[in-house]
Amino acid sequence: MSTKKISRVVALVASVALLSSITTAPSQAIPKNDTQTLVSADWLAKNINDPKIVVLEVSAEEGLYERGHINGAIKVSWTKELVDPVNRNILSQASFQKLARKAGIDNDSTVVFYGDNNNWFAAWGAWVFNIYGLNDVRLLNGGRTKWEKDGRPLTTAVSAPALGDVVAKKADASLRAFLPEVLKVAKKQQNTALVDIRSADEFSGKIFAAPGFQELAIRAGHIPGAINIPWKTAINADGTFKSTAEVRKIYANLGIDGKKPIIVYCRIGERASHTWFLLSQVLGYDVKVYDGSWTEYGNSVGVPISNPAGTVWGIA
Amino acid sequence: MTPKKVTTTSGSVTGAASSFSWSKADTIRTSVAGVIVLGLLFWAYLLSSNTETGGRASFSLLIGLALGIVFERGRFCFFCIFRDSIESRKNNGFLSVITALAVGAIGYAIVFGMYLPDTSGEYLPPGAHIGPTSWVLAIAALAFGFGMALSGACISGHLYRIGQGSLRAIPALIGALIGFGLGFITWNTLYLRAIQEAPTLWLPHYIGYAGSLAVTLAALGVIAYYLLKSNTESAPEKVSGLAVLRSKFSPATTGALVGVIGTIAYMRIEPLGVTRQLSAISRKEFEKQSLLPETINGLDTLAGCVGIVTETISNNGWLVIGFVLASFAGALSANRFKFEIPTIRNSSTALFGGVLMGWGSMTALGCTVGVLLSSTQAFAISGWVFFLFAFLGVYLGIKAKVHTL
Repeated sequence: MSTKKISRVVALVASVALLSSITTAPSQAIPKNDTQTLVSADWLAKNINDPKIVVLEVSAEEGLYERGHINGAIKVSWTKELVDPVNRNILSQASFQKLARKAGIDNDSTVVFYGDNNNWFAAWGAWVFNIYGLNDVRLLNGGRTKWEKDGRPLTTAVSAPALGDVVAKKADASLRAFLPEVLKVAKKQQNTALVDIRSADEFSGKIFAAPGFQELAIRAGHIPGAINIPWKTAINADGTFKSTAEVRKIYANLGIDGKKPIIVYCRIGERASHTWFLLSQVLGYDVKVYDGSWTEYGNSVGVPISNPAGTVWGIA
Repeated sequence: MTPKKVTTTSGSVTGAASSFSWSKADTIRTSVAGVIVLGLLFWAYLLSSNTETGGRASFSLLIGLALGIVFERGRFCFFCIFRDSIESRKNNGFLSVITALAVGAIGYAIVFGMYLPDTSGEYLPPGAHIGPTSWVLAIAALAFGFGMALSGACISGHLYRIGQGSLRAIPALIGALIGFGLGFITWNTLYLRAIQEAPTLWLPHYIGYAGSLAVTLAALGVIAYYLLKSNTESAPEKVSGLAVLRSKFSPATTGALVGVIGTIAYMRIEPLGVTRQLSAISRKEFEKQSLLPETINGLDTLAGCVGIVTETISNNGWLVIGFVLASFAGALSANRFKFEIPTIRNSSTALFGGVLMGWGSMTALGCTVGVLLSSTQAFAISGWVFFLFAFLGVYLGIKAKVHTL
């Protein structure tokens, strides 16, 4: 009997044993856009031994996962695994399938993302996993910080899951916007709401990049027609999202009610993924991430921009 | 291979009870030292409940505390150790360095197995000091070693000597701060000439952890064999009772403790090093004076002891604070604290040696602790290269008698 077979048997026995404590099996094809896409730390703690659940940590800080992570979580590196190392692009379908299988993901797995930095890169991961057609992708509400602040346990043990059998689908074009489409929106040739989730000072063009970040665009400001709703608008002080009813109202008051398609962007797409997750996966709106974001748009030649502050790059 | 001649200070030892007396002054000194240690522990406790600094600052302070005591008590001064070996074949100190490397290598292998189970990919374990290996590293280490000879100690050595009352450490450390700045100035040129293209050689990529550990221990064993064979120094005296509070740690104890502390530091925070915070201070000051280029190419992506400019005290800063205060406590209870008034002459050599060490450690991405220990323990070839050339630098310095200037 191979070790893989043994682990499968163990997993089966474990899952039968667990059925008594779990009322609904998580992978029971929960409809997309259900509020369940956001899981609480309590839920994860209760379901952590469910073999159908695969927990992935995407943190930006090096060594964080290694020095302690949620039991059973697998590390996914944003810079090394979720993007193409050479082209500016997300990883390819083939690389994705390889990565997901290595993490032990099957077609009917429930994937739960969490990470540091307010879940920014975890949300980016969730977006990429949705693009390649995974059925059940969730985000741990409050991310790593909340889990730690709750005093929940971490481990340094690395799990080595058996290879999964997930089949990646063709990239879902309805989740990702490229420059030509964004330009159409900017020129009012397409009726889509643009949400700029950067800080007010980046939006107005007072600064070229948020403090602590390199200035990677040589124009400041925002895409014409965009509405500025900083990503922080959606969260409580502890990093968790505000209640669904509350955020629905807040965004509706700012003009984002889901009645028309939405494109979100930021500097490189990671913070935008955070808002994307909320609007698309929690509120059920039709949302694309423009991951080229300001570092592409603000550097493009001949595109219209809006720069209320009137700053000019290179001139103090 | 660890030396067999030495014994540890623990356990009840009969005989060899050297003339030991305990005076009122000893009680006072030891009490003050105890208060300092307790104070550091309490400070660490306060830091741990401070959400701004968190547990890592607290833990770093504790690592510094442990390391300060061990360095002071074990006389873990790389310059003195190398000099004793070169000048008079007194090799006990050198054996403690070899022990530290061996114990640390075992510890790192254990932690690496957990952090990066699969060495077949191109990944490196997070944060480990595995640096690029080029002629720049060799020259930097050589300059560092020569600077050690000139100033009388390496950077960690000067730091713990502050705790012993050595005022000569002050010009040396000022020199090091200047040297760091010079290192930042020359960095871009050296980076583009050599460092950027230099290979980052990590043994486990080629022969796995078991192979790397075997090769490392074998190499250390060979060195230990020659050190033991030519050793002119006898085993340290056995101590018992209250004498433990004053006595020096044996080389084996010192080396083993340094190795264990290094492993724990890497496991919980980052590899041991003493220059990260200091170089960050330098960088900030030089930047204020507009002496540095606007961008320092690639530096912040390399693993080593060079600090990114931070506003607050980094984990490494807490380590250094704990280190200096603990070595003071150690020196005090052992009655080794004595203000050593520097002369203009030896202050100048300390300053100039410090500049060489600052430049060398910035360019090599660390010093005797951050590279010689932490990189070699981590199976990085850069560690061995630094070890070899820093030793060579000290050797040349001693042969040129710069340490007697």
